[in-house]
Amino acid sequence: MAGVEEQEKLLEDAIGVVKVQALQMKHCLDKAKLMDALKHASTMLGELRTSLLSPKSYYELYMAITDELRHLELYLLDEFQKGRKVADLYELVQYAGNIVPRLYLLITVGIVYIKANPCLKRDLLRDMVEMCRGVQHPLRGLFLRNYLLQCTRNILPDNLEDSNTDEGTVRDSIDFILMNFAEMNKLWVRMQHQGHSRERERREREREELRILVGTNLVRLSQLESVTLDKYTKLVLPGILEQVVSCRDAIAQEYLMECIIQVFPDEFHLQTLNAFLKSCAELQSGVNIKNIIISLIDRLAAFSQRSDGVGGPGSPNQLSGIPQDIQLFDVFSDQVSTIVQTRQDMPLEDIISLQVALINLAHKCYPDRVDYVDKVLLNTHQIFQKIHTETLEYNSAVSRELSRLLKIPIDNYKNILTVLKLKHYRPLLSYFDYEGRKLLATYIVTNILDNETLVPSPEQVDAILLMITPLIQDQPDHTVEDDPEEFAEEQGLLGRLIHYFKSDVSDEQYMILSTARKHFVTGGSKRVRYTLPPIVFQAYQLAFTYKNLKSQDDMWEKKCQKIFQFCHSTITALIKVELAELPLRLFLQGALAIGDIRFDNFEIVAYEFISQAFSIYEDEISDSKAQFAAITLIIATFEQINCFGEENAEPVRNQCALYASKLLRKPDQCRGVATCSHIFWSGKSLSTEGKEMQDKNKVLDCLKKGIRIANQCMDISVQVQLYIELLNHYIYFYEKGNTAVTVQILNQVISKIKDELPNLEISEETEQIQKHFANTLDHLKNRIESPEAEGQLYDGLVL
Amino acid sequence: MSFFGFGQSADIEITLDGADTRKTADIKSEDGKKERHLLYLDGETVSGKINISLRKAGKLEHQGVKVEFIGQIELYYDRGNHHEFSSLVKELARPGELTHNTTYEFEFANVEKSFESYTGSNVRLRYFLRVTIVRRLSDIVKELELVVHTLSSYPDMNNPIKMEVGIEDCLHIEFEYNKSKYHLKDVIVGKIYFLLVRIKIKHMEIAIIKRETTGSGPHTFMENETIAKYEIMDGAPVKGESIPIRVFLAGYDLAPTMRDINKKFSVRYYLNLVLMDEEDRRYFKQQEITLWRKGEKSRKPQSASPHLPSHLVSAETGFPQGAAQNGPPFQTPAQEPSENLAQYDDPETLEQPQSHQSHAPIEGMTREEGDGEGEKDLSPESQ
Repeated sequence: MAGVEEQEKLLEDAIGVVKVQALQMKHCLDKAKLMDALKHASTMLGELRTSLLSPKSYYELYMAITDELRHLELYLLDEFQKGRKVADLYELVQYAGNIVPRLYLLITVGIVYIKANPCLKRDLLRDMVEMCRGVQHPLRGLFLRNYLLQCTRNILPDNLEDSNTDEGTVRDSIDFILMNFAEMNKLWVRMQHQGHSRERERREREREELRILVGTNLVRLSQLESVTLDKYTKLVLPGILEQVVSCRDAIAQEYLMECIIQVFPDEFHLQTLNAFLKSCAELQSGVNIKNIIISLIDRLAAFSQRSDGVGGPGSPNQLSGIPQDIQLFDVFSDQVSTIVQTRQDMPLEDIISLQVALINLAHKCYPDRVDYVDKVLLNTHQIFQKIHTETLEYNSAVSRELSRLLKIPIDNYKNILTVLKLKHYRPLLSYFDYEGRKLLATYIVTNILDNETLVPSPEQVDAILLMITPLIQDQPDHTVEDDPEEFAEEQGLLGRLIHYFKSDVSDEQYMILSTARKHFVTGGSKRVRYTLPPIVFQAYQLAFTYKNLKSQDDMWEKKCQKIFQFCHSTITALIKVELAELPLRLFLQGALAIGDIRFDNFEIVAYEFISQAFSIYEDEISDSKAQFAAITLIIATFEQINCFGEENAEPVRNQCALYASKLLRKPDQCRGVATCSHIFWSGKSLSTEGKEMQDKNKVLDCLKKGIRIANQCMDISVQVQLYIELLNHYIYFYEKGNTAVTVQILNQVISKIKDELPNLEISEETEQIQKHFANTLDHLKNRIESPEAEGQLYDGLVL
Repeated sequence: MSFFGFGQSADIEITLDGADTRKTADIKSEDGKKERHLLYLDGETVSGKINISLRKAGKLEHQGVKVEFIGQIELYYDRGNHHEFSSLVKELARPGELTHNTTYEFEFANVEKSFESYTGSNVRLRYFLRVTIVRRLSDIVKELELVVHTLSSYPDMNNPIKMEVGIEDCLHIEFEYNKSKYHLKDVIVGKIYFLLVRIKIKHMEIAIIKRETTGSGPHTFMENETIAKYEIMDGAPVKGESIPIRVFLAGYDLAPTMRDINKKFSVRYYLNLVLMDEEDRRYFKQQEITLWRKGEKSRKPQSASPHLPSHLVSAETGFPQGAAQNGPPFQTPAQEPSENLAQYDDPETLEQPQSHQSHAPIEGMTREEGDGEGEKDLSPESQ
């Protein structure tokens, strides 16, 4: 290829000549020397005979020259309005010896001729387009014919058959453009086969640059207003398609098919689908048919959405949408399968892409027709079966396309329940490898969560869970270890998902939960911690629902019992995978729920739950911090539970106090015992009939024991801290009216703290301790100064 | 005209009747300059007046006054001999004396003028009137050139020229000109159909060649002159292309075809179809056409639509698109090996041997090696 500089030089020279000649031409026109002007015009046009310029430079030259030709045209128009004979001139310009300048002049004069004598329009148009055959050089021919097309833009006859036939009808315009189109396309295609094969890339690039020239023909056709559907079907489209198919050139075919889709109206496409798609099947193997069909489908789908879907009797206000007699989907579906069958070399991902387009079409045009979508899925399935596809590697082109395909129903329906109606959805999932399946499963779950879709039946739950097995169970083809964070996130999604398994019918809900559990328990130790707790909580909630239904359901107590049995076994499953705190908490929560619901046998079941919690505490929790946390939790829970008779409450209380005092570290013991004191005060049981038991001595015992343990602490700072905490407990009980707690005791504790406090080393910790103490004293001061009516008086308190 | 001796003693002036209204026509003189003279047709009467005005007062003695109408052919290489094919004489005055300016009227009624005036490169055919005052020592002579056009009526037979030609395994084309006989303002309409293209064609042109033949036997002189060169195609066509031809003859300096005029000379016209390939080799085929002059007034009423201009290629011209499809089925001459091609490349054997016609249905085209001159010839020319 000539260097850029060389091109610039050539172009510059040519433009220079053009400027000089154009100036002289205009000069001659001013002096009314038409013959001389034409000679200069011809010399100027002679520059277009060059073979040296690249398409881009040639285009610039062409623009410069045609710009100048407009002056000539205007002058001539003016002349002819004054009465000059045009016919002579039309002949005169044909004496030019070189064909390229001659034809440009012929067109320029021809246009004026037509404007002066509209009755000759038809013959002149035919003449010009015919004469242009003389230029067979692709680049020069393309531009010449483009000039013809440009010039005739506003004068093509555009009226129907029965009007003035001398001026021509739209039929003549169609013939004219089709012929010009065919010739331009031939020239364009021919470029591909000229020159050396190593320059192929450059040639193809140049062809890309020139394609718009060919496409303009189609634009012109689409601009003819008198082209009715009938004419389009019988003349225009067959003409174009014949040329497109017969040119056997992939670049041209792809571009032109796309052009057809874009320039003609949707109404036309709808009526000519079969013809168009049949031609698609006949295109060269190099043509990316997928893009063409997808583009058409997208266009029609968008059209159908604009016009409010497929016409139905129920929608009188809609625009002229897709007529009912056109089975848009069926047509596409049939033609696509024909294409897939005939084009053996089509890559699988392209075939799938086509299915994607089909499914989009079905969605957009027939939003109600789930069966259409299912049909596409079935077809896809069959395609895979036919070629015996085993597994699609993650992120391969096919895998990507397939996942695109499968995401569409999810995205469009925004309702997993509709997706479940697609019988052939799930089988397709099995073609993915682990990564692919997991990704799609996550996608499905996220979709349910985002759309807050409630899944109301056990069957549906079952189906969904089967779809997302890769998240629920270990997969045989799962080899690479998951990223822990990612894994936790996925499992978190599952946990959230369970809350959307919800039926209004309680019995159904129970079935749902047991179905879900059936799936989730298979998940192994890593997963159940995320998935089973939500089930348990759902079950507790269900039990509350039954409680509310008490009056309607005679069986509610039995059912509740069953639910708690279900919970019990579920929690036990968690223990089996060596979890401790989680089941402990679940048991405690269960006990609380039971206490609230109070069905038949509630005390036994609740006791079982509490005792299970204790045995977990004993058997599974060995870490001292965990123990302290667990016992605090048990104590707190028990304090809330009021469903036990004294017979059961007593051992639990004692057990709590025992375990609290048996904690390993002294500070923990101290705090545990102090906490424990509350169950003896505000704890309730059946024997107290829901009232607080307020055993003041036991409380005092606990607190005293606390003081004792605190005394044993070696670290003074910890010791003081514990004293202050204990002081707070004392104050709490004093204010609650525990008479066993006296002002003397308070004074003792305060003075003890005051003694120790100065001995503390100055540190951040100490500061906190002092602050805590000061706050406590402030509280007391407040109480002394403004005693409340029913509160105890702090007489004799020494601060 | 001045003669030695006494000088001219009388001026002769020839005035033709109707000179104001009669048409004139241009013709080249021997030295190439264009002259304009009155135009006569075959059978038209040539009449007029001759004024003789005396220079000096007195009398002019003479042996008689006559006027001649002469048609003659002059061959430039044979200056001495003019061949008069027509010579008519009228005597205007018997020998005597002219004493005053005198006017004579003359008339050559319905003169036969069977040939057209012509000035070529080796020959000239002219008509003129000659008035002679015969004197003893030197005659006083005055000549007046006339131009004669021969008109023809529309030929009865005017078949299109249609032919399939080519060079084996290299180029086969079918060409078609709509007529074999064209009048001088006519339009040649035709097309070229490419049946086989295995060369890289650069462009194609049609040339109009005038061939003037003079003399006979071993003394035959032939002069070819290219009257017009007309590019009809730019770029390389592929098999199946059909290229239109339309050449307006009116703009070129043409005269009717003259065959064996008085056994002295002929002027014939040929259309030369030339294809040039990228190596500047030229492939051509010549085809004679007959030119004739059409009477201006005898224009027939146009049969076609009055709106249809004659200069358009219309569907009615009988050149439907892709006409070659219904042409003779093309046989591939497989038995001609490539040695013939080598033969054609030899500039000495340009014309294809006649014997080839026995196997090959393709008529020969001629191929010439390129001289690099091809491009130069095609400088832009309008008109």
